[in-house]
Amino acid sequence: MKRVLSNKWSIMVFVLPTVLFFTYIVIFPIFKTLWYSLLNEIPAKVGDASHFTGLTHYITMFTPGRRNPFPGAVVNSLLYAALSIFVQLPFSMFIALLLADGPRGESFYRNTFFIPVVISSVVVSLLWGRIYKGLLPQLFEAMNWQVPKNGFLGNANTKIWFSFIPSLWQYVGYHMLLMYGALKTIPEDIIEAATVDGASGAKLAFRIQIPMIKPMLKVCLSFSLIGSFKLFDTPWVLLERSNMDLPALSMYVEMFSNHKYSYASAQAIFIVAECLVFTALLNWVFRESDGKPGKELARK
Amino acid sequence: MKRKMTLGQILIQLFLLVWLFFCLFPLYWMFTMSLKDTQEIFGPNSVGLPTKWLWSNYANAWGSGGRVSNYMLNSVIDTFVTLIGTSLLGYMSAYGLLRMRWKGQNAVFTYILMGMMIPMHAALYPLTEILLTLTKTHWALIIPYVAFNIPITILILSGFITNIPYEMEEAACIDGSGIYRTAFTIILPMMVPALITAAIFVFLQVWNELLLASLFTTDTVRTLTVGIKQMSGQYQTDYGSMGAGLVIATLPTLILYMCMSGQVQKSLVAGAVKG
Repeated sequence: MKRVLSNKWSIMVFVLPTVLFFTYIVIFPIFKTLWYSLLNEIPAKVGDASHFTGLTHYITMFTPGRRNPFPGAVVNSLLYAALSIFVQLPFSMFIALLLADGPRGESFYRNTFFIPVVISSVVVSLLWGRIYKGLLPQLFEAMNWQVPKNGFLGNANTKIWFSFIPSLWQYVGYHMLLMYGALKTIPEDIIEAATVDGASGAKLAFRIQIPMIKPMLKVCLSFSLIGSFKLFDTPWVLLERSNMDLPALSMYVEMFSNHKYSYASAQAIFIVAECLVFTALLNWVFRESDGKPGKELARK
Repeated sequence: MKRKMTLGQILIQLFLLVWLFFCLFPLYWMFTMSLKDTQEIFGPNSVGLPTKWLWSNYANAWGSGGRVSNYMLNSVIDTFVTLIGTSLLGYMSAYGLLRMRWKGQNAVFTYILMGMMIPMHAALYPLTEILLTLTKTHWALIIPYVAFNIPITILILSGFITNIPYEMEEAACIDGSGIYRTAFTIILPMMVPALITAAIFVFLQVWNELLLASLFTTDTVRTLTVGIKQMSGQYQTDYGSMGAGLVIATLPTLILYMCMSGQVQKSLVAGAVKG
């Protein structure tokens, strides 16, 4: 029995194709991107003139200047992260708390609120594009509010905000479902005991329910942080082709329009590094609540 | 007897109804837009039901004016083959990594799971170098789709496969069944629910994918997401047909969700709780 399960040959048959394929298509390109980012330009473009330049591109990337949109793009992605964490997540939490309390129509609401999540982000963006062009101006006129001069996506300072709204809207349902599922795993008698002790509404939520679903909050937070750094689809569809106001957009334009492959690779590596650093940061912030519920109590 | 609702409950219901409206309105708007002509979309009746239900928009987007039928077929092929790939490779490696016993299996498992933390952006240009010669075929998308969805598939399967008792293998072994037969005729059938959970997650990722699809497809193998994005430019004057294209692209996922909303929600939760 043990011999059958440790047969080297069959292990290779099961595992090796996947490992080789995965390494060739996912891991190998990442290291290649890293290598490219350290060259002045890739050999495929400049031939023998290609040479090692170290961190030059990374320094250029963050050298402030009017013609360098990358620092601004990073700031924008952080703004999106802030919006996601301080507006989208609390709102989703609010809905999750309401639904977990078991109002009439609980599962109907939950199922409907989740619908936007399964729709393609391209469809969502195009739909919102029509809303910005057709519906909102009419609504504004009817209310006698001033419609922005070039439309909602025409103003260089505000268009990025309007391009954020569709994906914020779309993923409320996802966060709601994750939190709702976690809230539902809290044992009934804990809620009951707290209610008997006089906790209800906000107090119950902040003292009992939210602390108890910390591990899920970590999942939601990392989901929205990583989503912010990688945000691409919605703004790419809604904004003009040359827009570089977000890191992923900037990388795309530098790579496929400006053909600065090495420079764009450096930006790609920066996005990856940002994701890894923030994931590590979250793990550190939530280090106590991971499966050690007694630890916090013990320290008091 | 109906219980009377308290004021608090009424307020909660009102709030939920308002958000329900915000969730459904864009969809309502898409459906009605797909049945109107451009004049009506931008006229005073942009919000109401269509005065004349123009089903011809659908014919237009599907066949003659648009190429949605083509895009749909391509998306179906890419998604279908990807799902076969992730299920097969994912199951085989999950079996080898988590059921069999060998030195280094944990290291290889961690190695593959680390792939999940890496966004596709990071591999973009080297991927173009690998796949450039394939852009006239479906493989240019299927290959990266399978590779990038293997980690999440293995992770979802891992939760289930480690719960199956080893007595299954022991009994099979005593009966003279070889390891491949055991894996594929005894354990695999027990893994079907897990494979479905993983497949739904991968389906939604692949069906809705835009970045790679926009880079690695030429005209004949273009998928729905890229196709309708292009249509939005091409149909600047015919918003009704564009609406019809959007509806057609959304229907498959919407129908899947309506038929098995519980299962879809389970898949997406399983896929998110990966860290």
